[in-house]
Amino acid sequence: MKLVFTIAWRNIQRHRRKSAVIGVILFLGAAVMTVGNGVLSGMDRGLSDSIINRFTGQVVVLSRTQERDGVIITAMGKSIEVIKGYAEIKKVLDSQDYIARYLPVGRGITMVLNEAGDMGFTSLIGADFEAYQSMFLNNVQLVEGRFLKKGERGILITEGNRKEIFLNQNFWIQPEGVPVRDAALPDEAKEHRDTLDVRESVVLMGASSENASLDILAPVKGVVRYEYLDKFWRYFNIIDMESFREAFQYVTASDAKVKLDEKKSRIMESENLDYLFGGNVISNTDSAGGYNVRAMVKRDRKAGDAAGVDSGAYNVVFIKLKKGVSIDGAVDRLEKALKNTEGRAVSWKKAAGEIAELATIIRGALFGFVMFIFFVAIIIIMNTLTMTALERVSELGMMRAVGAQKGFISRMFLTETFILSFAFGGAGMLFGIVIVAILNALGITTDNSVLQLLFGGDVFSPFIDFRDVMVGIAELSLVTVLAAIYPIRVTRRITPLEAIARD
Amino acid sequence: MNIIELSGIKKDYPLGNTTVNALRGVDLNIEEGGFLSIIGPSGSGKTTLLNLIGCVDTPTEGSVKIAGQEITTMSDEELTDTRLYRVGFIFQTFNLIPVLNLLENVEFPLLLMKDKKHRLPKSVIRERAEKLVAEVGLSDFMHHRPAELSGGQRQRVAIARALVTNPDIVLADEPTANLDSETGATILNLMKQLNETEKTTFVFSTHDPDVLKYARRIVKIRDGLITETVEN
Repeated sequence: MKLVFTIAWRNIQRHRRKSAVIGVILFLGAAVMTVGNGVLSGMDRGLSDSIINRFTGQVVVLSRTQERDGVIITAMGKSIEVIKGYAEIKKVLDSQDYIARYLPVGRGITMVLNEAGDMGFTSLIGADFEAYQSMFLNNVQLVEGRFLKKGERGILITEGNRKEIFLNQNFWIQPEGVPVRDAALPDEAKEHRDTLDVRESVVLMGASSENASLDILAPVKGVVRYEYLDKFWRYFNIIDMESFREAFQYVTASDAKVKLDEKKSRIMESENLDYLFGGNVISNTDSAGGYNVRAMVKRDRKAGDAAGVDSGAYNVVFIKLKKGVSIDGAVDRLEKALKNTEGRAVSWKKAAGEIAELATIIRGALFGFVMFIFFVAIIIIMNTLTMTALERVSELGMMRAVGAQKGFISRMFLTETFILSFAFGGAGMLFGIVIVAILNALGITTDNSVLQLLFGGDVFSPFIDFRDVMVGIAELSLVTVLAAIYPIRVTRRITPLEAIARD
Repeated sequence: MNIIELSGIKKDYPLGNTTVNALRGVDLNIEEGGFLSIIGPSGSGKTTLLNLIGCVDTPTEGSVKIAGQEITTMSDEELTDTRLYRVGFIFQTFNLIPVLNLLENVEFPLLLMKDKKHRLPKSVIRERAEKLVAEVGLSDFMHHRPAELSGGQRQRVAIARALVTNPDIVLADEPTANLDSETGATILNLMKQLNETEKTTFVFSTHDPDVLKYARRIVKIRDGLITETVEN
C-alpha cells in the first residue's frame, strides 16, 4: 500500500496542472455541497421547529371518513370530518409508549359575517388554549388584549386576519375593553379613523358536514400572532372548544349534560324532527341579503358550563412523539393500534398538505441543484482523469509488463483520485462550513413566504452537524468513485504491448 | 530441459485493411541456462518473438510453453504473475517509472511480489537492489529520478530491474544499444556471470557483434521464419 501511495502522491505532484484542475472542481463542488447540505439541514431543523414543534406535532389523527389528509390548509368550503368515538382513540393514544403528548382540537373554516351581508372566511382552531400553548411551546404571542382563560368563551384573532377582515368587511376588531392602537391600523383605516367601525366580537357561521349552519357571537379576548411562520399561520384564529363546537353544530359539553325527559325522548326518536326544530335553534339568513348580527346571538353560555364534561367532538388530534422515534414508524404503529377505532394516523407532512409539499419541492430543488453540481464535477473530473490515463499508457503498460496486476494499477489510480478528493474536497468542506457559519452569523431575515419555507422560519439559519459532515464525506467519496470508474477501466485495458508499441 | 518451447507459432497483426504476418510458423526450443541471441533485419519478427516469450503478447496460432506451462491458455492474472516471477524484460527503450528514483525503480518488481513464497523483507529488497545498482555502476545516482539520468544510465537501471528478481529468463531487446562499449561489456559480463552461476536463461535480440560474441547459440530470423540456427 505504501508503494501505491508513494507513486500516487508523486504522480499528483508530477501532473500539477491537471491535479489543480481536478482539485479546484472538487473544492468548489465540496463547498457548494456543504453549504447546500447546511441549508437543507437548517431547513429541516427550522421546519421541524416551526411546524412540528409549534403547530402540528409529528403525527396527526383524523377521522377515518376524512377523505383528504391535508387538514391544516384545506380547500374553501371543505369541511373536516368529526372523529367519532374519540374516547376510544384517547385510550389508544394513552397506551402508546412512543407518544410524548397529544392535543385534540377542532379545525374548520367559518364565515365571518357583518350586517351588510359581506362575507369573509377564516380558519378556526378550537382548543383548550392553555393546553395548546403548552403543547406548541407558546407559539401564540399576544399583540393586544389578553389570552383566553381556562374555561372561558372567546376568540383570539390573529393580526393578519384582523387586517384581512377589515379590508374585506370594513370593520376593525379590537379585544374587549382595549382601546384602538393607531399604530396597528392599516392606512385604509387611518383615513377613516373617525368613522371606523370597531367591534369587540365577531359573528362566525360554521358549516357542519350536513351543511347546516349556526351563527355564534364570539367575544374577542385578544389579538395574537404566531412566533414562527406567522405568514402561513396568520389565518388560524384560536377559539374555545365549546364555541367551536357550537359554530359547527357538534355535540357540545352543555348538550352532553342535558338529560331529556320521557316525552322529549319520544319526540327525538320520532322521524318528525321539524317539530323539534320548530323553535329558533338554527338561524335563518335574511332573504333580503343582510344579517341582523346582534339578533343572531341566541346564547351566551359559558364554556364553564362544560366543566368536567368532554363531548369528545374533535376533528384533529395533534401528536408529539418521544425523542428519536421515527415518524413513519410511529404512523404505522399508531395506524395498527387505531384499527378498530374511527381514527386514522397520518404524518404531519400529509396533514400540513400544501405547506409540506411546497417545502418538499423547495428541498427537492435544492437537493437537485447540489446533485447537478456533483454531476458536472463528476463529468469534468472523469474527463481529466481519462486524459491523464491516456497520457500515461507507456508508464502504466510498463508497470504491467514487469508484473503489476490490473488491481495494482486500479488502486494506484483510485488512490491518486482519493488523495485529491480528500485534500481539495476536505478544504472545500471546511470552506463551506465557514460560509455556513458566516451566513448564520449574518442572521438574514425574510418576509417572503417561499423563502421562509426555505429558511425553515423567518431567519436564515443554515446548520451543519457531525451527521452532515459524515454525509458530506460519503457524498465526496461517492463522487470520487463515480468519477474514477471510467478512467480506471481505461487504465485496466492498457496492455504491456501498448507500452512497448508506443515506444 | 527446455525452459522455452515454441511450436508452430504464427502471429498476425492487422494493419489498416491488410494483415501483417509477423511470424509465420516458428518452432524454437531454448534449454534452461541458455544464452541465445536472435538476429535479423528490422521487421523480421525479432521483437514479436521476444514479446511472445516474455508473455506480453499471445500468438495467433501455435503453442508457447514457459517452464512447461502453456501460456496461450493462461488468464491475464497468470500471465502477469509469470512475467513477475519468471521473466525479466529489458526493453529497447528505457521504460522506467518517472516518479520513482533509481533505487525505487529497481526495487519495484520485488515490491510487487506478494505471495508468501517470493515475498521478501524490506531490508532484503533494499540490499539486493543496492547491490545490483552498484554492479551496473550507478551507486552515485541511487536517489536520482530517471529524468536526471542519461540514456545509458537509464538502460543500466532497466537491466538492474530485470535482474533483481533472479528470474528464470531474461529477455533483452537491443540491451547495449545505448551503452558505450566499456559499459556494455561490463553489463554483458554480469549477465554471463548470472547465466553461469544462477542458470538464468538469456535471450537477446541484437545487431551488436560484441553481444553476439557472448551468445552460445544464434538464431537467424527473416520474414517471420527462422532461417538458421548457429551454435557459437
